[in-house]
Amino acid sequence: MKQKDIEQQEKRTGWLLILPALLVLALVFIYPIARAFWLSFFRENLGTQLEPIFSGFYNYNRLLGDGRFWQSLWNTSVFTVISITIELVLGMGIALVLNQSFRGRGFVRTSALIPWALPTAVMGLAWAWIFNGQYGVVNDLLQRLGLMETSITWLGDPTRAMFALIVAEVWKTTPFISILLLAGLQSISVDLYEAHSIDGANPFQSFRQITLPLLMPQIIIALLFRFAQAFGVFDLIQVMTGGGPAGSTETVSIYIYATVRRYLDFGYGAALVVVTFLLLVTAVVIAAFLLSKSRVNLTGGQ
Amino acid sequence: MSSLKKQNKILIDNSDCVGFANGLFRQNIIMFKSQKLKDWLKLFERRGVILSWFSLVWSRRVFRGIGLAIVTLFSIGLFSHFPSFSQDPVTVRFLVQAGEATQLQSFAEDFNQKNPNITLEIVKGPNNTNLVEDLYTSAFLLGDSPYDIVYMDIVWVQKFAAAGWLADLSEWVDADLLTPYLEGVTEGGRYQGKLYRMPLRADGGMLYYRTDFLKQVGADPPETFEELVEISQQIQDQGLAQWGFIWQGKQYEGLSALFTEILEGFGGFWVDPETNEVGLDRPEAIAAAEFLRQTITKGISPQDVTTYSEEETRLLFQSGNTAFLRNWPYVVPLANQSKIAGQFSIKPMIHAPSFNSGACLGGWGFGISSRSPHQQEAWKVIEYFNNIDVQRQYFLITGFVPGRRSLFLDPELVSKYPHYPQLLDVINNSVLRPPIAQYAQTSDILQRYLSAALTGSQTPKAALEAAATETRTLLGRQQRVISLEQ
Repeated sequence: MKQKDIEQQEKRTGWLLILPALLVLALVFIYPIARAFWLSFFRENLGTQLEPIFSGFYNYNRLLGDGRFWQSLWNTSVFTVISITIELVLGMGIALVLNQSFRGRGFVRTSALIPWALPTAVMGLAWAWIFNGQYGVVNDLLQRLGLMETSITWLGDPTRAMFALIVAEVWKTTPFISILLLAGLQSISVDLYEAHSIDGANPFQSFRQITLPLLMPQIIIALLFRFAQAFGVFDLIQVMTGGGPAGSTETVSIYIYATVRRYLDFGYGAALVVVTFLLLVTAVVIAAFLLSKSRVNLTGGQ
Repeated sequence: MSSLKKQNKILIDNSDCVGFANGLFRQNIIMFKSQKLKDWLKLFERRGVILSWFSLVWSRRVFRGIGLAIVTLFSIGLFSHFPSFSQDPVTVRFLVQAGEATQLQSFAEDFNQKNPNITLEIVKGPNNTNLVEDLYTSAFLLGDSPYDIVYMDIVWVQKFAAAGWLADLSEWVDADLLTPYLEGVTEGGRYQGKLYRMPLRADGGMLYYRTDFLKQVGADPPETFEELVEISQQIQDQGLAQWGFIWQGKQYEGLSALFTEILEGFGGFWVDPETNEVGLDRPEAIAAAEFLRQTITKGISPQDVTTYSEEETRLLFQSGNTAFLRNWPYVVPLANQSKIAGQFSIKPMIHAPSFNSGACLGGWGFGISSRSPHQQEAWKVIEYFNNIDVQRQYFLITGFVPGRRSLFLDPELVSKYPHYPQLLDVINNSVLRPPIAQYAQTSDILQRYLSAALTGSQTPKAALEAAATETRTLLGRQQRVISLEQ
């Protein structure tokens, strides 16, 4: 057989073999997204007796003037950015500590993971009691320390409620970041630090010039995971505040859930999903672009 | 074992694989040496991709399997469409919160004994009404609902009816069947003039007060908003209780229910279901929101009240530090077992001097799924629960609030639950949350803006005006669609 024929056959075999994977992807990934796009051009709600009526860009037009959507988008962004920034700093610190050798390190490493292993709804309920105004631990501590005269409300005040949510989220997911970073730290050879210190570098310089650059892939991956997760946060907020007070902690996913499942407004819900999806994709594309500029190889290859 | 090993030995330098090694999947493909696969690859080389797929699939065994599957599916479809083919009793199902399902179980057994050709099956759901609503919703959205009967909260009726999921009950129900029930309870089961729900339970908000504190300050139970504020301040000034009045101020459905009552007390309205007129920016509604805000600014209610739902307020009241509580009837038996037992009583909600009090009406009842193939049998079940003796037994067991008027004064029930006659007073002056299809969304709008007013981030006037505008947009949009269709 000619070389060309063989190559063609190989290609065919290749396609054949990835066909099942492509089919699965199309079924669970492409179809739902395409369907949401399609649905977003229809009005399908209680007013139309749940029959779809084509209405072009009506839903998108309505979305532009929907203050509640923009507020929930803002809330989600604030929640995401602040919590993952804090998590990264704390997670890095914890990872550096856990990377040192000390007695009982295995035990500490395992127990550091516990918050992350707890079901979110359960720990959300616990945090709601911790921030309870009358019986809460936080108020009690602050009063005993003499920082406050009377107890204050936490979940009933817009800013403080967001603060409480971020604290709970950080508590829960910092271990995830620190474990990812710890894995990265362990792959960095000790020789590098030795050579660096012989050259006269202090620990701070070593951290900046060796640890940070070599850890970049893990940092980026951790940030990407956490960004996607935090942007879709639902259970924690549903349990702790339900989006209140005055919608000040309502995130996009809670709004979408309400629109589709409680208001039965499928067309508009689909439009919300599409816009959120596009915004997320844009954010990821920008991140990927910045990454390619900083020449970090995400796949871990050389 | 050894032959297995041989078969599974990974091929690296076999001639069959040389082609692959140059190809797309250089590193990723691990091939197993097996005669069958080799044969197949040869076949595949000869006939190309598509034909080889077919030759693989179209073997006789597979063909036979598919044929058998089709016949089976067809016969399942046949039997489910003609239930009379089989002699088994018809099964009728509904979904209830697990706690209540247990209480209903003995009734289901009783029903099944009396109706050998129908089997009533009570499906246990989560102990949270929102989740039960979600389960019903998804069951209906997916088409063939597994539930023939819908056990509904009063605020679901209009939404489910507007979505076309409920059967009109007027075929079975004549006026006589409804007369024994409280008027509000039956009205809550209607949508656009048709009846979709037979009532069973009622529910309503009311005022709990501490009889011992009132005695100590020498006051009668308050009738008006002002009296409540005055008495609360007296009690707080004398150091009898830390807080005067607690209520549900969290941003959730309970806040809408409470506000409905305060609004009725001020003579206002929320949404008129006939005309879709919105009354939230009228002076009465603004006064109602201002009253609630003032309870916080005057220190009668803790600032934290804006985060409380029913349970938090109940626990605070039971801890003994509070003079007044607005809550549902379920608190009575629980508070009777707490340390304030015997020191509290209940009465209808407070109101402005020239108006009536209103208890926000809740409650549960039965509807029939519009897609159920067993609607007649489902009605038999509802008829069974409509029986007064069955209901008496049911309320004796559960202690819930009856929807039937005569049961409040029933000697057997009153001897077990002495507060029932008082409950009748409360529920007689009831007020419905707007019975409109978009209630869930309307309620969310009110909750958000009311929450803003209560936490002080907006003035009550500004908040309610914004809520009214947004509600009008919502209901107006809905109206436009309907008028387009006509």
